[in-house]
Amino acid sequence: MGTGMRFNGCPSKNELASAPGVPSLEDLNRKPLAVIECIEPIPCNPCEHACPFQAITVGDPITNCPVLDPEKCTGCGTCIACCPGLAIFVIDMNFTAATALVTMPYELYPLPQEGAEIDCLGRGGNTVAKGRIHTVKTSEKFDKTALVSIELSKEFAMDVRNIRMC
Amino acid sequence: MDKDYIICRCEEVTLKEVEDAIQHGAHNPDEIKKCTRAGMGLCQGRICSTLITQLLEQRGYPPQHTTPPHSRMPVRPVKIKEYLEDIKDE
Amino acid sequence: MKNIDVAVVGAGPAGLSAAIEAAKYGVKTLVIDENRQPGGQLFKQIHKFFGSQAQMAGIRGYEIGKKLLASAQMHHVQMHLNTQVIGIDETNTLAVIKDHHYSEIKARKIILCCGAAEKTLAFPGWTLPGIMGAGAAQTLVNIHRVLPGEKILMVGSGNVGLIVTYHFLQAGANVKAVIDAAHSIKGYGVHAAKIKRAGIPIMLGCTINRAIGKKQVEKAELIRVDERFNKIPSTEIQMDVDTICLAVGLSPSTELARMAGCKLYYDAKLGGYIPLINQDMQTTLEDIYAAGDMTGIEEASIAMEEGRIAGISCAVGLGYCPDTATSQRVVQNIRLNLSQLRSYKPN
Repeated sequence: MGTGMRFNGCPSKNELASAPGVPSLEDLNRKPLAVIECIEPIPCNPCEHACPFQAITVGDPITNCPVLDPEKCTGCGTCIACCPGLAIFVIDMNFTAATALVTMPYELYPLPQEGAEIDCLGRGGNTVAKGRIHTVKTSEKFDKTALVSIELSKEFAMDVRNIRMC
Repeated sequence: MDKDYIICRCEEVTLKEVEDAIQHGAHNPDEIKKCTRAGMGLCQGRICSTLITQLLEQRGYPPQHTTPPHSRMPVRPVKIKEYLEDIKDE
Repeated sequence: MKNIDVAVVGAGPAGLSAAIEAAKYGVKTLVIDENRQPGGQLFKQIHKFFGSQAQMAGIRGYEIGKKLLASAQMHHVQMHLNTQVIGIDETNTLAVIKDHHYSEIKARKIILCCGAAEKTLAFPGWTLPGIMGAGAAQTLVNIHRVLPGEKILMVGSGNVGLIVTYHFLQAGANVKAVIDAAHSIKGYGVHAAKIKRAGIPIMLGCTINRAIGKKQVEKAELIRVDERFNKIPSTEIQMDVDTICLAVGLSPSTELARMAGCKLYYDAKLGGYIPLINQDMQTTLEDIYAAGDMTGIEEASIAMEEGRIAGISCAVGLGYCPDTATSQRVVQNIRLNLSQLRSYKPN
């Protein structure tokens, strides 16, 4: 049995490394950026139109995986809630000297409380680390998808993609 | 292997009965319907016809080579009383 | 007997889109649906849809339903709800039961948008209460706001299985696992990723052997299968569940097309027997068109585009489009959209 998205639902390290929407660690260390974990050709392009800085390109055909331009991306997070696949995250690797800020789409109620201590889960649903809810943003524009930002130890920023209330 | 479970819920036709029908020469959904009543009940085969198509395919009678089951009025369960009274009126 | 230009059977995404396009040209259009509410399956789709920004992508399914309804109203599409079409004959007459009364509707053109029914899986115990189609469970949760159970097993890793699992998660149910006899996930990876990172196991190469229970399902017995789907002896495990949802595909609802005499063919990839149609969505009968899932199981975005072509084709066929160059251009654009939407399918 193989590994990767098709075989266990988790994109593998290789799949992520070759996804055109996932910026390099070098770029991520420079500034906050969107991380688009969209690795399959899906006929879908709302992210391209959501970005106010034209940092995301899908183009023609519509099944292209989104390409992120790390120079244009400001890490604003406007794209997160528009992704029907809930596959876009924003990572601020240098939120503080020791911590990173991971912002993710969240569609479960109740929404977490800002400041709450939570379990940070990896792509497989496993508990990876403890973290703290930094902000919870909702807006009409996000259409019921909340943007939850979690502060956690830097080393886990590229692994944590979900939360569980403690 | 237990073959007494039901394939057609409406007419309570079991897997064994369908298999027997296939063995006796019923090689498409209509023939199985005539032999066993599978697909003749309230839902008119909406649930079991895909199961029967699969069973036939597994036994060497692929759907590409058989005709789809016939469809007759009424395709939805209706009270025959209402239906007949109004036809008289029309 | 009621007379109408175009009768559309089914008020789902394909039927509504077809009716709206036809009505735009001034065609007297009637949509018939057996449900109390129009919209087909759209109103239970609480997730955001994939697709092109130009065609309502990124919008939740029920919002798309609301937009279609508003548009149908604006273009004066007539609607018969709670109305079952029980037959069709060679004079383009539909036999319907409306409010418990029989009547007939004669149309110059008929567009069949009857959608699809859930396929099922037969195994010992499958008729126990608590075992249901995933789509039926989705209706329970998202329309009626009732959870079918507390410990759920989802059978099938296609998009329906994955999406309904996510909806269960949002409704607070405990999904114990998603299983599939296939050895890779059938639906889109991003849908699988959403439930995987919530901790729901996805077990591949695994099928249901039997359901156990007295008055309702209490346990599911699972068994591993090899690459050829043969059960591997002594690999059975039992799982405590009170609900088993079957998401094993959809089957096009072709009863009326068959009764009318449309030619059908079998396409396993598109869900089974489907009517043969040309690029105008016309069946082998001149006045009968078909669109949406009943012409092959695909996405709602595709059903809407197919419906639009059928609606325009009927308007053209009835002489409502004097400017055929313009309508041709519109149809060409829709066909282009369709080919893009179809350019990739998982597995």
